[in-house]
Amino acid sequence: MLDLKLEDIDGILVRYNVALEKEMTPDEAAEELYPKDELIYPIAKAIYEGEEDDVIDGLKAAIDAGKDPIALINESLMVGMSVVSQLYDEGIIFLPNVMMSADAMLEGIEFCKTQTSEVPEPKGKIVCHVAEGDVHDIGKNIVAALLRASGYEVVDLGRDCPVDEVIEAVEKEKPLMVTGTALMTTTMYAFKEINDKLLEKGIKLPFACGGGAVNQDFVSQYDLGVYGEEASDAVKIANFIVENGSEIEKLREEFHKH
Amino acid sequence: MVKKYTSMAYANADDMLFGNSKFPVKAGLGLEIGAGYTTPELNYAPRPQAGKSKEKLIKEYERITTDAMARMVQIGAPSIVLETEHVEQMTNNPEWGGAVAHAQKTIMEEYHDEYGIKCALRHTVGDIREDRDYLKLTGDKFDLLMESFEQVAKNGADLLSVESMGGKEVFDYSILRNDTAGILFGIGVLGSMDMETVWSGVADIAKKTGTVAAGDTDCAQANTAMFIAGGLLDKNLAHTIAIVARAISAGRSLCAYEAGATGPGKDCGYENTIIKSISGVPIAQEGKTSTCAHSDVMGNLTMQCCDLWSNESVEYHGEFGGTSVQCWSESLAYDCSLMNVALKTGKAKDLRDMFTLSDKYRDPQGYVLAYDNAYRVGEAIAKDGNDNYLRAKNAAVECCNIVEEGVASGKLKLTRFEINALTKVKEDLAALTDDSDKFMSDCLTKYKEEVAVFLPENYGL
Ligand code: B12
Repeated sequence: MLDLKLEDIDGILVRYNVALEKEMTPDEAAEELYPKDELIYPIAKAIYEGEEDDVIDGLKAAIDAGKDPIALINESLMVGMSVVSQLYDEGIIFLPNVMMSADAMLEGIEFCKTQTSEVPEPKGKIVCHVAEGDVHDIGKNIVAALLRASGYEVVDLGRDCPVDEVIEAVEKEKPLMVTGTALMTTTMYAFKEINDKLLEKGIKLPFACGGGAVNQDFVSQYDLGVYGEEASDAVKIANFIVENGSEIEKLREEFHKH
Repeated sequence: MVKKYTSMAYANADDMLFGNSKFPVKAGLGLEIGAGYTTPELNYAPRPQAGKSKEKLIKEYERITTDAMARMVQIGAPSIVLETEHVEQMTNNPEWGGAVAHAQKTIMEEYHDEYGIKCALRHTVGDIREDRDYLKLTGDKFDLLMESFEQVAKNGADLLSVESMGGKEVFDYSILRNDTAGILFGIGVLGSMDMETVWSGVADIAKKTGTVAAGDTDCAQANTAMFIAGGLLDKNLAHTIAIVARAISAGRSLCAYEAGATGPGKDCGYENTIIKSISGVPIAQEGKTSTCAHSDVMGNLTMQCCDLWSNESVEYHGEFGGTSVQCWSESLAYDCSLMNVALKTGKAKDLRDMFTLSDKYRDPQGYVLAYDNAYRVGEAIAKDGNDNYLRAKNAAVECCNIVEEGVASGKLKLTRFEINALTKVKEDLAALTDDSDKFMSDCLTKYKEEVAVFLPENYGL
C-alpha cells in the first residue's frame, strides 16, 4: 500500500496530546502532593493507587496509633482523593484511576464507620439522575463518582428516572443541588418538567444539567437550569454552591461559557 | 445453525476495497450492495414532538422519505439506502414500526417506478430488552424484539438490523476501571453469546419473509469506549484501551454472520473492516460525513472498504440547503460518486490508500483499523474462530502488537500515558488463561460479586 514518509506526517496531522504531555510522571506528581504525616501518607498513597486492602491496613494502623476514625475520613481519605482529583483536573491521570480511587475511598469510609458509633458529616447531599426514557447512564455514573470522590453524598436515582421520582427525592433528601443527564433530544424535555414541578412546590435549588444532547441554550430556557459540559463541572458547580450560595444567576455567569 | 469462521475471505489485505465485497447482497428495489459500486445510506431521527402518536410519526417519516428520495433524483444519484433506526415506541409497539416501514416503502417504490433509482430500506429496531435496573435479554422482551423484526420485514423493510446490547452491564463496569478481563468477558464472551441467540432469530425471520438479515454493531460497548476516549485531549480513557475493546468487538459482531446474517453490517460498527476481511460480507461505515451525529478521529479512513457510506443520524429539520436529510444525503452521494469514479477509472486502490493514510497515524484506533492492520486482527480471530473467548483474546493481543509496532516505526506517536495503558493491557492479557471454561467460571464468580446488575440467567448461565 501507499505510505507517508515519517517527515511528512506532521503536515497531515498533529498529535497535540503528545506535544503537550507533562514532563512529570503521574506517580512523581502524586508524590509531591501527599501529606507528609507518616500515618496519613500510606493511606493517601493507597487511595491514589486504588488499593483497597492497603487503604484498610493504613486506616487500621492509624486507628491503633490513636487517630479518630471519623477524623481520618477527612484527614486521610479525602486528602488522598483530593490528590487524585487535582491530578485528573490537570490532565495528568485519567478517569479509570479516579474511579478506582473512589471505590477505594468509599470502602475506607465504610471501614471507618464500623470503627465508631459517630456519624460522619458529608460536604453536602446531591441527587443525580438520568432523564426519563433515557438509558444512557455512563456520563451520570462518572458525574456521581466524581461527586462522591469530592466528598459529597450522592443519592443516585439511576437511569430512565420518572420526573416525579426526582421531585420526591428532592423533597425527601433536601440536597444542595440536583443533576440531570440526557443523551437524547427526545428525553431532555423532562428537565423542563422537573423544573416546573419544583417551582410549583416552591422549591428553588440549582438543577445542573448535562449529557450529550443537552446544551447551554436549552438549559437556559428553564429557571433552575445550570449547564455543565464536563462531568468535572458537576463538582465545580457543587463546590461553587458550597462557597458562594445557590443563586442561579451567579452560577450561570460562572459556568455558562458559550 | 451457527457456523464459525476459521479462515479469511480475502487472501490478502490488498484485495479489500470499497464498493466491493466477496459476497454482494441483493436487496430492495434493484440494489446490489458490495457489487462494484458504493451507495449512500441515509439515517435520520424524527423531531422529538413527532413521537407523540403513531400518526405523527408516520407523517414525519413520510416527509423524511420523500425529501430524501426527491433530492437523490434532483442530483442524479443512482442508488440510496434509507435507514430507519427505531425510536423506542416503534419497537415496543411492533405495529408502529410496521406501519412506518410500509409508509416509507410505498414512497420508495413510487420513486423506483418513476425514475428507476435503486433503493432499499433498512430498519434497525431498538434493543428494548432492558428495564430501568437490569438487562432482560430473554423472555417477553426478546419475543417482542422478534415480533418487531417480523412486522417491519412483512411491511416493507428490506434489511434487518439491531444494535444489540448483550454483555453491556459487565462492560460498563469494567471500562471505567481499566479491567481488561471484564472488557473481554463483557464483549467477547457474553456479547458473543447474546449475538448468537439474537441473530439466529433474525436470520429465521429474514428467511421466512424474504428479507435480508443485515448485521449488528458493537455500539453498546466498543463505541461507548470510543466516545469515552473522545478526542486527543480528553482524559477519560486511553485511546489504546478503546482500540483493544474495538478489536475484541470484531469477534462479537462477527457472530451475526455466523448465525446467518449476510451484511451489510451496520454503519457505526467501526470493527467492520476486520469483519469484512474474515467474512467477505458488505459493510456500511460512517466517518467524515457523520459529523452531524458525532466526532471521531478517523473520518476518512473508514471509507477505505465501505460498501454503504452513512451519516449515522441527523435530526429532521430545516437547513439553509434544504431539510437536513436532503443536505446529508447529498453529501453522502457525492462521496460515493467520487469512490465510484475511482472504481471505474482504475484508481480505486490509490484512493483507498489515501483515505487510510489520512488518518492512519492520527490515533491508535485508526492505526489498527487501517485495512492492512485490520486484516491482521482478522487473522488472529479466524485462527481460533471456533472459540469466542480465545478469538477475542487473540484479537486483543494482536491489536497490542500492532500498536507497538506502529510506535516502534516512529510514525504512530503516543503519549506515555497511552503507552503505559497499553503495557498494562498486554500484561493483563498475558496473565489470562487459555482455557475458555476456566475463564468463564472465574469471571462468573468475580462479576456476580462485583457487578450488582449482572444477571447470569440473561445468558442461560
Ligand atoms: C454508548 C451509547 C449507547 C449505549 C448506552 C450505554 C450506557 N450504559 O450508557 C446503548 C447501546 C445502550 C445506547 C442505546 C441507545 N442509543 Co445511544 N448512544 C451511545 C453513544 C454512542 C455514546 C454515549 C456515551 O456514552 N458517551 C460517553 C459519555 C461519557 O458521555 P455523556 O453521557 O455525554 O457524559 C459526558 C458529559 O456530557 C458530562 N455529563 C453527563 N451528564 C452530566 C451532568 C452534569 C450535571 C454535568 C455537569 C455534566 C454531565 O460528563 C460526561 C463526561 O465528561 C451516543 C453517541 C453520541 N454522539 O453521543 C449514542 C446516542 C446518544 N444514542 C442514540 C440513540 C438513538 C440510542 C437508541 C434509541 C438506539 C436504538 N434505536 O435503540 C438507544 C436508546 C435507548 C434509550 N431509551 O435510552 C442517539 C440519540 C439521538 C437523539 N435522539 O438525540 C445518539 C446521539 C447516537 C446518534 N448519533 O444517533 N446508546
